[in-house]
Amino acid sequence: MATVGTPLATKATRHGPLWSVLNLSGWIPLLVIAIAWELCARSGMVTAYMLPPLSVVLERIGSDAIEGSLGLQVAMTLYRSLLGFAIAALVGVVLGVGINRSRFMRWLFDPLISVGFPMPKIAFLPIVILWFGFHDLSKLTMIVFDAVFPVVTATVAATATVARELLWSARNLGANEGQVWREVVLPAAFPQIMTGLQVALPIALIVCIVTEMKMGGTGLGGAMMETSRFADSPGVFAGIVEIAVVGYVLVWIMSILRRKLLGWHPESQAVSNR
Amino acid sequence: MSTMSELISIDGVCHTYTPAHGREVLALDNVSLQVQRQEFVALLGPSGCGKSTLLYLIGGFLPVTQGSIRVDGKPVGGPGPDRGIVFQHFALFPWKTVRGNVLYGLEKMGLPRAEREERARTFIDMVGLSGFEESYPSQLSGGMKQRAAIARTLAIDPGILLMDEPFGALDAQTRGLMQAELLRIWRGSPKTVMFVTHDVHEAVYLARRIVVMSARPGRVKAVIEADLDRADPQLTKSRAFIDIVDEVWSLVREEAVRAERYRAE
Ligand SMILES: Nc1ncnc2c1ncn2[C@@H]1O[C@H](COP(=O)(O)OP(=O)(O)OP(=O)(O)O)[C@@H](O)[C@H]1O
Ligand SMILES: [Mg+2]
Repeated sequence: MATVGTPLATKATRHGPLWSVLNLSGWIPLLVIAIAWELCARSGMVTAYMLPPLSVVLERIGSDAIEGSLGLQVAMTLYRSLLGFAIAALVGVVLGVGINRSRFMRWLFDPLISVGFPMPKIAFLPIVILWFGFHDLSKLTMIVFDAVFPVVTATVAATATVARELLWSARNLGANEGQVWREVVLPAAFPQIMTGLQVALPIALIVCIVTEMKMGGTGLGGAMMETSRFADSPGVFAGIVEIAVVGYVLVWIMSILRRKLLGWHPESQAVSNR
Repeated sequence: MSTMSELISIDGVCHTYTPAHGREVLALDNVSLQVQRQEFVALLGPSGCGKSTLLYLIGGFLPVTQGSIRVDGKPVGGPGPDRGIVFQHFALFPWKTVRGNVLYGLEKMGLPRAEREERARTFIDMVGLSGFEESYPSQLSGGMKQRAAIARTLAIDPGILLMDEPFGALDAQTRGLMQAELLRIWRGSPKTVMFVTHDVHEAVYLARRIVVMSARPGRVKAVIEADLDRADPQLTKSRAFIDIVDEVWSLVREEAVRAERYRAE
């Protein structure tokens, strides 16, 4: 999928992600919330304990960053989220392809997925703690367990709905079944699988933070619980803002990746025509 | 009844579609047809009469469940590059460029790299897509996609060419050029061609035999011989040509009217 460097890809990027970040009008709603927060906190309606002013919170983030603890926490949270996400992505795609290809796998996993997907996976946390203790293994297990579902379901749906004429074309041109899978089914299914991955990544981050809050350890979630325990209100709110920023950046990177990888897709044309 | 020169031999073929939901559709009903080696046969008939289905069966994409289809004396097997097909809806790989699409079959043939590139260039040039080698199908017009699909199939030089309304998306002018080009290729390296079209004029111009199919369920209604001198530049204005067009046209019209009445019922 060598789409990078084509006129289309560059064109899409020029008006795409970078432009949307620099496009300041998109940030106005957030700015309004920020100003309202600041004004509300300073108006005297609420105490600084319940809602510290945004400026104080930002100051706190700045000092945490300089001191180095913020960097470490973000690094730990990213490490767990991204590792868990990567494992979930790999397992999810392999499982999805397997379910599509093998009747036995389908028989085995279809009901498990139907039951497991809508279930709150966090309910398994006590069991996972019993089995794996309070360390990273438990957190990773929970992240993978939660993030794998959207990947599997997207992969199963995507690989099952590849247009039969595309498969026929490949066979007609001399591809064997392995090549049909690698060279046709997977690329054809890729946009939808990518959507599944884009759903899974925020889930990975959410579960990571929740497990950190529950089990502690260095990381954004753990740090927030810590600050809360010490009634350190600016610290708690700083955590919220940090998580929001990390989440936003992750989602943003995924959307850039999507546009880079799907330069051939009609959706990219829609972007460059706007 | 088969002689040595018969390449494709279709005997008593029926095909029923059984969708997972909805009712069964009898698409082909007892179709028999013999196609000679290196013959150019056109297939005409109202929409939904099973022309594509017949090509899919010969191509090995659908299993033959009733009757038999033999290619070179052997029951037809799974799909393969010996029977190249141009699909009605192009079926280009959307994640590959025009060049990538045309190269795909050539890679599978195991040609050396330089030769693949050379062949791809030749056929892309032939269908008039030079300059669009690096375009993705989503960036092409319908007619351009169709021409890319034709290049992809012609490039692998199949002995049997199954073409499902290959010029359907082209404007009249490009269509004329492509028809002439196809005849030129066919003369240069004779292939057995089964060519589906809705255009009676096109069928008579290209094919030595024209098979008219009945409205669904598809049967062979008539086979018309068009033994014309295709080297004659005045061919399409000749009496013989116009008479055959008229004859085929009235047969097709009959079936189109029947198909229309079906739908009305
Ligand atoms: N996948 C399918 N499932 C069920 N029925 C089908 C399917 N494909 C085709 N049919 C039915 O089989 C009949 C023949 O279809 P086919 O596509 O072969 O017609 P056609 O002659 O190629 O028509 P057109 O000229 O419109 O392309 C149609 O009436 C259609 O309803
Ligand atoms: Mg058709």
